[in-house]
Amino acid sequence: MIELQGLTKRYAGKTVVDDITLTFETGEFAVLIGPSGCGKSTTLKMINRLIPASGGRITLGGEDVAALPVEQLRRRIGYAIQSTGLFPHWSVARNVATVPQLLKWPRSRIDDRVDELLAMFHLDPTTFRDKLPHQLSGGQAQRVGVARALAADPEVLLMDEPFGAVDPITREVLQTEMRRVHQQTGKTIVFVTHDMDEALSLATRIALLNDGKLVQYERPVEMMVEPADDFVREFIGQADLGLKLLSRRWVHQYQRPPSVAPRDALPEPGSHWWMIDDAGRPTALAGARLDDEDAVTRVKAEWTATPEMSMKEALSRMVWYRVMVLPVVDESGQLIAEVGMQGVMGIERGPGANASSTRAAGNGALSDNDGGDPA
Amino acid sequence: MSGARTLHRLRAASAGSGVLIALCGLLIALTLGMAQLEPLFRALFPSVSNPLYTRDSYLNLMLAHIGLVVVSSLISVGIGIAAGLFVTRPAGREFEPMVSSLAAVGQTFPPAAVLAIAVPLAGFGFAPTIIALSLYGLLPVIQNTITGLDTVPETTREAARGNGMSAWQILWRIELPLAMRVIVAGVRVSVIINIGTATIGSTVGAKSLGTPLIAGLVSNNLAYVIQGALLVGLLAIVADLAFERLERRFTFGG
Amino acid sequence: MTDAAAPSSSAERRSPLIGNRVLLTLVVVCLLGVGLLPFASMAPNRLVSGQSMSTWAAFAPWQLVTLAGLLALLALASFAHLMPRRPGHAVALAAALALLALDFVALGGYAHRALADASPAARVSQGSAFWVLLFAAGLIMIDALQRLRPPPVWRALYAATALTLVGVCFATDLLSPLSIMREFANQRDNFVDQLTRHLALVAGALVPALVVGLPLGLLARRRPGARNVLFSVLNVFQTLPSIAVFGLLIAPLAALAAALPWLREVGVGGIGAAPALIALVLYSLLPIVRNTYAGLAGVAPGTLEAARGMGMTARQILWRVEIPLALPVILSGLRIVTVQAIGLTVVAALIGAGGLGAFIFQGLGQYAIDLVLLGAIPTIVLAVVADFTLQLLVALSRPTRAGQG
Repeated sequence: MIELQGLTKRYAGKTVVDDITLTFETGEFAVLIGPSGCGKSTTLKMINRLIPASGGRITLGGEDVAALPVEQLRRRIGYAIQSTGLFPHWSVARNVATVPQLLKWPRSRIDDRVDELLAMFHLDPTTFRDKLPHQLSGGQAQRVGVARALAADPEVLLMDEPFGAVDPITREVLQTEMRRVHQQTGKTIVFVTHDMDEALSLATRIALLNDGKLVQYERPVEMMVEPADDFVREFIGQADLGLKLLSRRWVHQYQRPPSVAPRDALPEPGSHWWMIDDAGRPTALAGARLDDEDAVTRVKAEWTATPEMSMKEALSRMVWYRVMVLPVVDESGQLIAEVGMQGVMGIERGPGANASSTRAAGNGALSDNDGGDPA
Repeated sequence: MSGARTLHRLRAASAGSGVLIALCGLLIALTLGMAQLEPLFRALFPSVSNPLYTRDSYLNLMLAHIGLVVVSSLISVGIGIAAGLFVTRPAGREFEPMVSSLAAVGQTFPPAAVLAIAVPLAGFGFAPTIIALSLYGLLPVIQNTITGLDTVPETTREAARGNGMSAWQILWRIELPLAMRVIVAGVRVSVIINIGTATIGSTVGAKSLGTPLIAGLVSNNLAYVIQGALLVGLLAIVADLAFERLERRFTFGG
Repeated sequence: MTDAAAPSSSAERRSPLIGNRVLLTLVVVCLLGVGLLPFASMAPNRLVSGQSMSTWAAFAPWQLVTLAGLLALLALASFAHLMPRRPGHAVALAAALALLALDFVALGGYAHRALADASPAARVSQGSAFWVLLFAAGLIMIDALQRLRPPPVWRALYAATALTLVGVCFATDLLSPLSIMREFANQRDNFVDQLTRHLALVAGALVPALVVGLPLGLLARRRPGARNVLFSVLNVFQTLPSIAVFGLLIAPLAALAAALPWLREVGVGGIGAAPALIALVLYSLLPIVRNTYAGLAGVAPGTLEAARGMGMTARQILWRVEIPLALPVILSGLRIVTVQAIGLTVVAALIGAGGLGAFIFQGLGQYAIDLVLLGAIPTIVLAVVADFTLQLLVALSRPTRAGQG
């Protein structure tokens, strides 16, 4: 748990961080966001004291960070930055091993840890261990950067626009991985970005800063539904609020058991079913086409869904491929559920707008499934 | 070190090493065997009565020359890197503009003029030559140390700090290795200039390969001139190639 | 980077007690120099080494008081709490100018006094404390200018004032009793000859080097195959010590001149200007070719594409786009070779090419330090002035200079 109390930073008479008080709970994925110059990076860097605070106090697990020896403090806090800041003269393995080496871990433990982390980020250790940073793609370098930050199993992970320099597709893949890593490790993460979509896709809580002041600190959906003021409303953007809401909803929340066909049977009008092969993989969809209700459509990988996919993406696939339902498959490709337009339309807006969902608001900070049970 | 990286380095190294080894061999052979070439010089310069410089052995002259360059370069490198480090630390930042402009202006001074000015300060012989060579060689080392350290990206430095490295650890593990290629390039410049200036050092009384060369110029003995010039020219080329190899060792990334 | 406006934190933490540690260091250097080193030396004649004179002995009492006052003022200016920053820099600028003048006036004054009742053969020379004060004054000026950042006009005006001050010291009778000035008076005609010869050698090398080097640079840009060969050959050449090249050129040129009498008649021979010019041209090629290439290669591909897209011919692109944009880099190449040629010409005196180096080597041969300095100091001044002038040209040739501070 990290607590900021009245945190303030002044440069040459100008206040860039103004009396910020907030708490990052253990296991929280907190995103600091705001326009350029709002003080979000400065706030982040005051946590590991890369920038000294001018006023206020930061505690890490109850300890005042100002009282800890600065290098020891930083070794307890993972730190990943834009363009990764990988050390260009060190191999991937040595980069990842930076903090364990500083902490003088035994060699074998370091080697094991490096392999474990590379595997966690889907980087084959035998291939990547000895590569130099310049031999990596942008996405690979970012993964190594995050792996390095996690190497010594820090209590907290600070990330300063780590995906700012990669292309949009890679960025989305990295965000998915970051969500997975967060769920796997349960680390407290403080993440700086200026991209609202990135914040909505990652955060369990968003802290919106403007002009050095904290404007609102809230869960993503609540922030969308109940913006504190016009600035928040404007910053989130009004036009595609519905889609943004969908980006915070996950397929596993709205999926339902699939209707699987008996062999060679055709569905009745208005209904549909899936045909599956011997391995349980969906092969075709009978019915449920927008344009032709009776058509049988071959299932393609491009329009299958996974439980971790956002409902926004699922909707996008339905629209693009003109189907009313998507098959939900697990990692081996087996059909485990389906998700359809009814699911999309069944999404609740949030506690303030829909009384029936308030009971779900008490769920753990980790899951952020404040939408309640799917229909 | 990985297999791929080692292989890459070996390949790059072997490309130049043949030439370097051959030239090194030639340099040693000429230094030791100049006397054997006496008939050749006699044939080339029939009018010269004594076509082989014999007042000192070429081995001695070569060692003296190398000694001058090595001693002065060690002084330059020691002081130069220390000064470059000082002015890039917070404590010495204030001196950086001054030191940089001094290094830039100083390098426009002709080396021969610097050597000449050292004489009234230190008399004739070994001392003024060492002083002049060290002072002059200092400048490219300082300049390149500053440049090399300044080219370490701020994000890299911040990443190092963010990972909990102390100032010393950042300097030794990150900054110096990353700046090393540029620093070595500075040392290369200073050594090459010093090999040339040490030759002229014989005019202020320091023994070097310039001794036969200048003796030859004074007494119009072209054989001496060629013997000295060949050896000192070869020495410079060998040193330059060796430094090129060294620089390549500190290149990371493409 | 969103809020990267964060300046380095160390500047904030530094103790505000000492505002300018560079200036304070230079004041300490002055004090040490004045206290420990001889300011001047006096010898009964040219051949024996002189007797050292400390600053205390050489300065007149009012000069000592002035010196103490100036150093105290400069020390005051370096303490932030005693003097606000900008006025402090202005005080430093003024005090440095005064220090410079005092240095010359004290030296000249001492020479006049010491030689008033000495034999005509007696000589007075400047000592190391003189040089220390001179350099410290110069460095204080540079430091204060770097901190004050006055507009270019003020900067130029200040430099002109300093130069005028030094010029006046030399133009008047003040320094004439000094040993080096007597040497200069003896050699006046010869000095002008050698200086002219020095400049002629430099110019004579630069013109052919440019004529050959610029097209070679263009060739390197257009033909990557030619580039590698060209650069490795020129690079090896650049590595060779100048005296070795001069020496190696003597024998073939001598043989050539012996074989072809008409060559000898136009002045080509084993020694003299011919080998010097050939070597200087060869040394000048690499920087010119390399910078021409680098300048042309540095033109953004987008710019070239735009020029092509608007229908310019290859020739028009070269003259209207590539060369104007490459000009600053090409001129920096010219700066490098000019400074280099001025220095190499010194060495060329060893093979009888003349120039200011002749004084240096003649002086070294006779152990006549004044003669050595008569050659060395003007070459240094020449190199620094050439460097400064060409730097100015480079700055003026930047197409975007209006936008840059």
